[in-house]
Amino acid sequence: MTAIDPALSRRAPPKGAALDPVFRYACFAAATALLASLTGIVISLLIGGWPALAKFGFHFFTSTEWNPVTEVFGAEGPIIGTLVSAILALVFSLPVAFGVAVFLVEFCPSPLRRPIGVAVELLAGIPSIVYGMWGLFVFAPFFAMHVQLPLMTMAQPGSLLEKLTAGVPNGANIFTASVILAIMILPYMAAVLRELLLTVPVQLRESGYGMGSTPLEVIMSVSLPYVRRSAVGAVMLGLGRALGETMAVTFVIGNSHSLPKSLFDSGSTIASTIANEFNEATGAMHTSALIALGLVLFLITFVVLAMARALLGSDKQV
Amino acid sequence: MNALNTDTFEHYASEVPPEAIKLHVQNLDFFYGKNQALHGVSLPVVNKGVTAMIGPSGCGKSTLLRVLNRIYGLYPGQKAKGMVMLDGENILDRKVDVATLRSRVGMVFQKPTPFPMSIYDNVAFGVRLYEGLNRAEMDQRVEESLRKAALWDEVKDKLKSSGLGLSGGQQQRLCVARGIAVKPEVLLLDEPASALDPLSTAKLEETIVDLKKDYTIVIVTHNLQQATRVSDNTAFMFLGRLIEFAPTAELFSAPRAKRTADYIGGRFG
Repeated sequence: MTAIDPALSRRAPPKGAALDPVFRYACFAAATALLASLTGIVISLLIGGWPALAKFGFHFFTSTEWNPVTEVFGAEGPIIGTLVSAILALVFSLPVAFGVAVFLVEFCPSPLRRPIGVAVELLAGIPSIVYGMWGLFVFAPFFAMHVQLPLMTMAQPGSLLEKLTAGVPNGANIFTASVILAIMILPYMAAVLRELLLTVPVQLRESGYGMGSTPLEVIMSVSLPYVRRSAVGAVMLGLGRALGETMAVTFVIGNSHSLPKSLFDSGSTIASTIANEFNEATGAMHTSALIALGLVLFLITFVVLAMARALLGSDKQV
Repeated sequence: MNALNTDTFEHYASEVPPEAIKLHVQNLDFFYGKNQALHGVSLPVVNKGVTAMIGPSGCGKSTLLRVLNRIYGLYPGQKAKGMVMLDGENILDRKVDVATLRSRVGMVFQKPTPFPMSIYDNVAFGVRLYEGLNRAEMDQRVEESLRKAALWDEVKDKLKSSGLGLSGGQQQRLCVARGIAVKPEVLLLDEPASALDPLSTAKLEETIVDLKKDYTIVIVTHNLQQATRVSDNTAFMFLGRLIEFAPTAELFSAPRAKRTADYIGGRFG
């Protein structure tokens, strides 16, 4: 070994040194632009929606009267419609997503693993307008003919079933919208749940089996508890998506502003209301009411996603 | 290393009277896909005793252990050929229910793997799967198992707190308690002390020696002193073959195979 060349010990900074500040500021600018646009959106929603919120106050959230002619706007219908359709979608898709994820992790023969995984991803890649069209032209008529009508004719007058199924049998209702939404959020939740189940340490899983458990017992008692917080987070992500989905829902929900009286009654969501009416909103108050609706949707989605994020990040501290 | 020809491998096995054998591995081949990891291994596991398996990394001792409760069956592509007789029944037979088998042949892994639940529930977990005990009986079983695993005194005041909050050594003894709570006939230990400090290791070894009164134990270990301290019989494996099987004292004091002598003399491995 020779001594270090004195020239080398006084070496100049690396060639990229001059670019480094530029790189830093470019990254900073990108992050700032994102934050600025987010803040800008919130502020403009607040300003735009303020006239409606100021005029109707709390009634904006509790009244179902939405009348552009008399300029009275109560958004309870769309708000409830949004929550109900999103939660119903979650109820429909969660068991299936769970089944897909567990099948892929625990039972799937390796030759099938890829095809099913790809199918799940393809499902996520279908644009929502296509789901909407399919819902309107294929699913809704089918549903009306083969589910809604038989159920309605079966229902005894005054029974619970009658209350649940009351409505116009055209397939455009809260229930159909929820089913479409469920299909749309399914691939996301299945993919995230699968990733989560894969994070369960091999030895923990083997210990579960080593105790003489069946796969169901291992999943329920060992794997799921291990990822429970993240799993709730995954579900919240799905919920967040269902809340904000616009086109597919607009096609099949029936677009009525009143509070849906049954599962098979037409309704509306915040997103579908905005999509339907923004073009035709002539009065300033109408526009303001729609913008205020947008603000409400933003807040609901934000809260759900924030909860998801908080839960997703917190498994490591268990 | 020499060519992988069976002829070049010495093989010495001490005879064990058949009635003393709890678990008998007979001519076992094991494959990870196309890779053969075990070659015609035959090994008697003596009832109510400790059998140690030693050998350099990759010699197949863990693989052999994983055959004994068929945990390998979780992974498609791994398969075993040959026979493993547990009380005269071949556990490799398709008709054997693996869940029930695993409740009879328990396993403790290299790293502690407490389930994400309370200490009490960890121990009660396996028992609840197979037995309908009432509250008092379950309390008693949990206490008894924790005592046998030498953990009771340390956790008796916090049975309701999470098993994940214990130290590594305590977690491992919790896993032992969990394993013996279901009263398995055989307990498999896969390098149970490799993640533990010396004090925890000593406690675990005491536990093992104590347990052999009631259980048949197979332990895989890299620690030769540990094998001499806890085991009655020792099997030395090399490149997927059983080279030598003998009473522990004999194998360590007068190994018959040259490879065994080299390994325990520290000349390779």
